[in-house]
Order: sequence, then structure tokens, then C-alpha cells
Amino acid sequence: MVILAVGLILFGVFFLVVAAIGTLRLPDVFTRSHAVSLTDSLGAICVLAGLSIYQGFGINMLKILVVLVLLLLLNPVIAHATVRAAYRAGVKPQTEEDQ
Amino acid sequence: MKSSFPKQFIANTLALFCVWLVLSGKYDNFHLVLGFMVSCGVAWLNTGFPHSPFHHFPWARVVLYSPWLFLRVVESSLHLTKLILNPSLPIKPILITYRSHLRHRGAIVLLGNSVTLTPGTITVEVNGNAFLVHAIDETAGKDLTTGRMERQLAWVFQEDTNQR
Amino acid sequence: MINFFLFLLIILSVLILVYLYRVIQGPTVFDRVLGLNGISTKAIILVVVMGTVYDRVEMFVDISTGYALLNLVGAFAIAKFLEQRGAP
Repeated sequence: MVILAVGLILFGVFFLVVAAIGTLRLPDVFTRSHAVSLTDSLGAICVLAGLSIYQGFGINMLKILVVLVLLLLLNPVIAHATVRAAYRAGVKPQTEEDQ
Repeated sequence: MKSSFPKQFIANTLALFCVWLVLSGKYDNFHLVLGFMVSCGVAWLNTGFPHSPFHHFPWARVVLYSPWLFLRVVESSLHLTKLILNPSLPIKPILITYRSHLRHRGAIVLLGNSVTLTPGTITVEVNGNAFLVHAIDETAGKDLTTGRMERQLAWVFQEDTNQR
Repeated sequence: MINFFLFLLIILSVLILVYLYRVIQGPTVFDRVLGLNGISTKAIILVVVMGTVYDRVEMFVDISTGYALLNLVGAFAIAKFLEQRGAP
């Protein structure tokens, strides 16, 4: 059980690091939001699932799963709100034509 | 809508009470009665809006849909990881306009949320049935443009989208 | 096992510093908002890990739930404000 939890956490940490690298390297706000959404969806899911498995069955596991579901529902909404605000405020995404 | 009000009210109360049980963690009489009263009140305030996206929402099939979505998320995450760690950064961002044929408002919400949750695609604007999606390259947006995600959601909401 | 969790805490702090660079350096204000969003996700994970280290998960999970909801409200407020005012 502990080995499975550690494996899941390390898998998630790998994606968190990749997303941080992506935030540094990618060129504009739309592509950077892809990197942040990569962290939010996969890295956070894996780390929190690993922590909840480490706790074993019980009320603590359920509570961590509540935080996981909350992140899963709220983070896409926040990313969409930020990107929509950027689009409506007139930030133009870089597309293939102007490179 | 008048006839289904008590059923929905009881269902909402039970769901909210389950959330209370998980979050409070105390099971003496005082906390149980207080939680039941609070969940009754919140459910009474929030039941009976016929235009809410959660009206006739198929919760069981949405739970069945989530493992498929998780597999898609893992697959496209690996794709995006390859793109980011590549030293030459071969990204070709495109904007996709997509018109879906789903009718249920909850289906539209779920489609937009799934698109944003999948790494590599993000919903920029939703206007009725028309989606404006920013994808990091063609491969990431392929799931949406071939209509694969919409077919899954049509199965979830038992609608047919074959009239295009 | 405690060493592994301390290692995890250190990695998360370093990642928060990376996102802080994006918040300070970001060319547009939306990059800053995006960086703050990433920082808050890391902070939620960090609080839960800290609860595991101190063996008080039931308390720290409540804190992280509140943090997630406050982050939603704050991000919506900033997004709505910038959307109506236009790009600075």
C-alpha cells in the first residue's frame, strides 16, 4: 500500500515539475494556461490520490477525496475564466500564421 | 415541475447530508440534528429551478463516463509532456470553432469542463452551442474535432447527434 | 517516511518559487493571474502534505478546502474586473 502511494506521488510530482517548466518556456498566456491545466488535472490528482491511499481507509481518505473532487471541478472553471477574460480584453493568441 | 418537487427535495437533502457527514467527522446527536436541519434548509432554497443545468441530470452515467475521461486526460498529458520537454518546442497553437448538437444544458457544461480538463485544449468562449477552443496543436484537438467526446456525452445524456 | 514527505515539501516550495517568477515577470496581467492560480494549487497540496506530516489531516483538509473556495472567488473577481475594464 505504501509503495503504491509513493509511486503515485512520484508520478504526480513529475507532472508538477513538467508543468512548472512549461510555464517558464511557453510563449503566451493561452499556451501557458495549457501548462497550468496540465498540473491541475493530472499532477494534483495523482499526488492527492497517493496521499489518500497512504492514509488507509477511513474518514481521512474521504476528506482528501473531497478536496480532490473540488479541485477537479473548480480548476477548469478558473482556467476558463482567466482565458476568457484575456480573450475578451483583446489579447490575441499566437497562431501558426504569424510565426 | 410541481410533481417532481418532493422527490428532488429529498434527494438533494440526502446528498447534502452525506457531504456534511464526510466534512464534519463528529457523530454525536447534536451535530447530526444540526446537519440535517442545515441540509434541509439549503435543499429547500435550491430546489425547483426548471432551467438549472442539473435538472434531470443523469448522475449514474456521469460516474461511468469519468474513467474514460481520466484515460483521455492521461493520454493527452503524455502528449503535452513530450511537447514541453522537446528542446525545439514544436507547438502550433490553433483556434477551433466547434458547434455541438447537444441540447441538455448540463451536457454543454460538461462538454466545456471536459475540454478544459483535458490538457492541450481549453475552452475560450461558449455561446449557446458554439464553442471556441484553443488547442496547442492538431493532435490535441483531434478528440473534439472528430466528435469523439461529443459522442460519449450523447451516450451519457441519451441523445442522438446523427442529424448533422 | 517522514524524510520522503519533507522532500515533497521542499519540491513544492521550489515549484512555488518558479511560479512566483512568472507572477513577477509576466508580460501581461493575465500571466500573473495564471501564476497565482498555479501557486494556489501547489499551496493546497502543500497544506494536505503538511497535515500528513503532523498527523492532523482532518484539520488541515478543512483549511485547504477553504483555500480552494477562496481561490475560486478571487479568480472570478479578478477575471470579471479585467474583462469589463479591458487590458491595462
